[in-house]
This record gives sequence, C-alpha cells and structure tokens, in this order.
Amino acid sequence: MPAFGAEPAPDTGVHVESNVATTSVANPTPARPADPLTRDRKIAAAVAVVPGFALHGSGHYALGQKKTAFALLLSEGVGLALVLGGYGTLRASGNSRYLAGPAVAATVFGAGLLFASFGADLYGTLATDGAAVDSIPHAPPRLESELGYRYVGDPHFSYDHFVVESFTLRQGRFRFTPSAWFATNSSNVRYRVEAAFRLVGLEPGELGKRDDHVDVVLGGLHQRYLPERFRRSGVEVALDTRFDLAHLGDTLRGSFIDMALGYGVAKVTYDLQGLTVPADTDDLLLVKVGLGIALRGRAARGSEARVFYDHRHDDYAGAFLTPGRISGVFGQFGADLRWYFTPRLGVLADARVGSAWVSGLSLLIREGTVSSPGTSP
Amino acid sequence: MSRCSNGVAWLLVLAALGCSRPAEERTRGDLEVGHAEGPTFEVRVASGLAAIRGLTRDQLALWLSAPSTDLSFEVHEAVQLELLVENAMASVELIDLSSGQILSVSSGAVSTKKSWNVPLAPGSWHFRLSAPRAAENGRFRFALMSDVQEAIDRVQDVYRVINAQTDLDFLLGAGDLTEEGEVDELQRFQHELATLSVPYYTTLGNHELGERPPVFQQWFGRANFQFAHRGVYFTLLDSASATIDPLALEWLDGWLANARNSVHVVAMHITPLDPVGTRNAAFASRAEAAALLAKLAEGGVDLTLYGHIHSHYSFQNAGIAAVISGGGGATPEGGSGIGRHFVVFEVDAARGVVSSEVVPVDP
Repeated sequence: MPAFGAEPAPDTGVHVESNVATTSVANPTPARPADPLTRDRKIAAAVAVVPGFALHGSGHYALGQKKTAFALLLSEGVGLALVLGGYGTLRASGNSRYLAGPAVAATVFGAGLLFASFGADLYGTLATDGAAVDSIPHAPPRLESELGYRYVGDPHFSYDHFVVESFTLRQGRFRFTPSAWFATNSSNVRYRVEAAFRLVGLEPGELGKRDDHVDVVLGGLHQRYLPERFRRSGVEVALDTRFDLAHLGDTLRGSFIDMALGYGVAKVTYDLQGLTVPADTDDLLLVKVGLGIALRGRAARGSEARVFYDHRHDDYAGAFLTPGRISGVFGQFGADLRWYFTPRLGVLADARVGSAWVSGLSLLIREGTVSSPGTSP
Repeated sequence: MSRCSNGVAWLLVLAALGCSRPAEERTRGDLEVGHAEGPTFEVRVASGLAAIRGLTRDQLALWLSAPSTDLSFEVHEAVQLELLVENAMASVELIDLSSGQILSVSSGAVSTKKSWNVPLAPGSWHFRLSAPRAAENGRFRFALMSDVQEAIDRVQDVYRVINAQTDLDFLLGAGDLTEEGEVDELQRFQHELATLSVPYYTTLGNHELGERPPVFQQWFGRANFQFAHRGVYFTLLDSASATIDPLALEWLDGWLANARNSVHVVAMHITPLDPVGTRNAAFASRAEAAALLAKLAEGGVDLTLYGHIHSHYSFQNAGIAAVISGGGGATPEGGSGIGRHFVVFEVDAARGVVSSEVVPVDP
C-alpha cells in the first residue's frame, strides 16, 4: 500500500539494534529532510513536548518533516473538533438518549486522535529504526492459542484469580476465536466467541509492508455469576480497524492507531430461588481507541505494545471510578504487550483499570506465520 | 522497551487517579452522623437520622433525615436545652420516652422548623421525634424530586407546585441538589427549602462531590440510611460515584431484612442500569449493577427510585418497578419531551405502591 504524504526519515546515525533484515526497505537512499531546524533528535523530542503538547507535529517540524508535521497537526485539529463537538453535544442536549451514543463515540475518537497525534510526534522524533519495520511481516498467524492467568481485583465480588484460555483460527478473511475465563476461587465463568471477517488487510500468508486492517467482528458473550445469582449473555457487532501511522510519514513506521466502533446488547437473567424475576435487557456502546508500536530488536515479528481506552462498562473491568463527580463516565484504560521470543512462542501481558483491576500474563503459541526476508521461519 | 515502561507508568498514574472504592470515606462518614458531645451533654441520634447542625452548652440544632427518630442524651450537668429541629414534618412531636409525655413546642407549630425548651437534669434521657401516626400502618403520599443543580434560582417554582399538592407527607430526593456540593450551595439549598411545606429527605448525587472531601453529610445527614413511615420502609443509598460501597451493601442486607415483610422503597442517585444503555448514565460496572438488582429483587423491594438523568422514565429492573425523575431544573434531556417535574406516589403499608403521577412544574 503506497504511503501518502510520506517523507524520508532523517538519518541521524542512531539505530536501535534489530535482528530483522533491513534490505527490502521503502527508502534505500533516504533524501535529506527540507530545512530541518535541528538534527538533534533529543531537541526535536523536547520540541514535540513543548510546544508540541499544544501544537502536535512540532517535533517533526523541527526535524524538517513538514508534511508529517502537518498531518499530525491536522489530526490534532480533527481530534479537537470531535472532542468539542461530541462533548458540546452531550452538554447541550442534556445527554439525550438520541445523541449520547454518537456524541460519546465522537468524543472518544477525538480524544484518541489527540493522544495519537501527540504520541506519534514523540515516537517519530525518537524512533530511528523505522526501516527495520518495513521488513517485518504483518500477516496474522493461522493458528494462535493462549493459556494464562488473570487477577481481577474488585471489592464487590469474591473472585480474584482466573485461568484464561483462547484459541484463534484464521482461514482467508475469516477469523474464529473462542475463549473462556474460569475463576479458581469462586463460581464465575466467562465464555466468549468472536467471528470476524477481514474487509481490508492482510490474510495469513500474505506479504505486506503496512499493518492496516478493517474487520467486521461478531461476538457472543456469556458470564455466570453464581454467588451473585445472575447471568449475563449478549451479542455484539463491531467494526475493528487498525491504521498504520507510516501512511503519515516514514518516521512513524512501526506505530499504529486502533479504532473500533460497535454495539452490543445483553440479557441479564436473575436466578433467585423461589422467585420468577423477568430478565433485564442492557445495551452497550462499544468504542475503543489504542496507540501502539511494533516491537523489533530481540522481539520476533508480531510483537507489539499498546495503550488503549475501551469505553466498555461491562465485563470484569467495568468502567473507571474516580473520587469526583465524573466517576463511572469513562470506560477502561489499559495496556498490553505481546512479545514473541521465537516465531512460535510468546507471552501476552495486559492490564486494565476500570471499576476493577484486571491484569495478568498468558503464554502464546502460534503457527502459520510468514517469514520475514532473511530470517528463518 | 522504554515505551512499554511509559505505558506501565501511565497505567500507574491512572490507578492513582482512580480507586476501586471512591465512596468508602463517605460511607464510613455515615457512622459519624448524629453523634456529638458538648460541654454539658452528649447526644446520639438513633441510626444517624439527623445531621447535627449546631451544638453549644444549651442549644442543639438538628436537620432531620427522616419523619421519626430517637434522641439519647447523656447529660453531665443540668441544662435548659433549646432543641432546634429543621426539616421536620409539620405535625412532629417531641416525646419523653421515660414518661411518655409530649413536650409542648416553643415555636414553629405548623412549619418544618420547630423548637422546644427541654429541662435536662444530669443522667440519661431518651426522646422521640415523631409525627402522631407515624408508627401506624397506613396509606400516604410522598413525592420524588431530584437534580436541581444550577437551577437553584428557579427552585421556588417547583416548591410552589409541590406545596399545592394535598396530603404529601414528605419529599424524597435522589441527589444532585447543587452544582458542585460546595458549602455555600448547600447552605443556599437549605435556605430555599424554608418555603417548602414538607420535609425533604435526600441522599446525595455526583454533583455533591465537587468539594473534597464532600460536606453533604454535615448539612443533610447520612448518605446511606433507612427509615420507616406508616409501615413503609424507605432506604436511601449513595450511588453518587456510580457504585455502592461494599460497606453500604453490608448495611443494605440488614435493611432488606428489616423490610422483608413490608412495603419497601429504595432510592439512589445513579441508576444501576440506564434504560438507554449506550448512554452509560448508570453504574460503572454492569456486573455490580446486576448483583445489586438481584439483591433488591431477592429482598422483596417494591419500588426503586433514581435521579441523575434529567428526564422521566418508568420501567422495571429485575422485575421491580423503577422510576427515574431528574426534573428539578437541571438542563433537561433533549428530545425527552418533559421538563421540570416531580413524581407523586401513593403507598399503602398493606397494598404496596398504589399509584404514581408525574406532575409538570411548567405548564
């Protein structure tokens, strides 16, 4: 996929060590950036913070990456407009049932763009091994399995410890992922199944330089809270996307923004002895934004780190609690790290904070990945 | 990997900003309400059903949270006590429990603000503040009005319509009296209440949490409490932080047991489940919401009342009748077709919730 508005990265002579071959790069003979204010990346990074905190792209501007700088500034403007428009709509409409969903989605995406444009500016001024990213295959594996542990700290529930397992099978554009969480110290389970269709993006075995995708995801969820005497079962549909920020400039190779938008509906069933209680219906706005980077160096392909915001108010993490008056407004904040030691073996570490803490570690095993040029499968 | 470290640091910052029990301090604060010691006596209000607004050598000022409550005094030296009581039912009486004698009121015979002069000799004294038929099972009417917030300048319009209602025993509040919960706002709210002909028993809303720590309890009393009136139980819970503290849930178990064979009304500010789920004007955790509703349904609760959403909704949660009423004057929910309003309920200790009626304030 061609990069638009991309400019060559400045070569400062500082490179992160990489075990990935860097021969098949997009810009084998990087052109010099136009009129850089500085060639010192530390100064550029400082500029990305001040005045970059207010004017996103300042760091790239200082390095002479003006098109990338403009793209980041534009992202900031769009993000700010979405936040102001979304929040303004919520305020003006008195949180109207007809406008709250779209307004919240706009606000979250806007805030995501604001965060991403600032973070990308900082990343682009500091990362010097973007060319190495071009040789990392981005195609997903055909098979991936996960077995791990999660701690859930929630003062309202007796559970703490969970065994987590999931399995992902990809065939062409289709993905199928069943997963389960089992509490080890309480009678609580969560079953989830996801079926996804890739509208845009790489399929297993395909070669491609950019890490983009657009998936339609259908999900089903069933949670049993036996001690609390209720069950929650739901279905959801979402559009799940990833945009490789390298499209905005070569300096941003290896960074990406995730965005997802969807809707879920659940039935809450009460199991009260001797009582017949009608079930409640509960619907959910699904909005998620994340900013991440592909890990290189000693990490095998497919390794990445990400911070994210998920507007979900359900599941184990719930939504973010604060002492002030906005408690429960925000969803979940989190970070995850997927690190493959070998092409087949890796770990997933993740943490979410909402009304509860959810964190843990999983072992990942995968098959059917694409080899990168110059490396063994 | 430095960016991974940054991510972890970022999460830690978030964890520091957030907390899993934001209402814990307030809930523990409930235990302090209604108890004070002065130079000449110590006073305890049973179940903390009144805020102590003033205490001097010979004067005690109370803001009631319930139609009836008991007062216990440990008197160290003889005193001619002036007992000032605000937010009382107009017919409330002060009864000396040791003699059964009804003390004559000094002022405010027909208002919500009353006073008595009570001679107290050293020793233990027990009194009851109660309306004449408060302990008898019966039928009565009360109203729900919440979410005044920034509209305090116009709240007298609402009170005029409430005062025009006949036979209301009291007004119930589900929070958001003020915009920020600051002292001057709470003081102003109490000042405005002087024109209301019935007492206003309320918990707090998220808009009372602007002050750190919140001062609501000093002015209006407990955030979590229960009272009974004419055989009907009323339990008010603090869901202002989109959660209910586990300590309050422990108390709730006892309150549900108290009301197990009676008509039971439960009120709180933020609803466990928003009828419009995509809006999320509800508990932070859908799981906690379902767990609470299961508990309320199992406890035989008859009616749940909420505020927070500036509109009127009538629905069911866990099979329990539910009403959201946030019509006290704060910016109304667009497109909902209802502005300022309150809801009048008729309840009967034998028959349950007999009727409800939405009363618009603006014609």
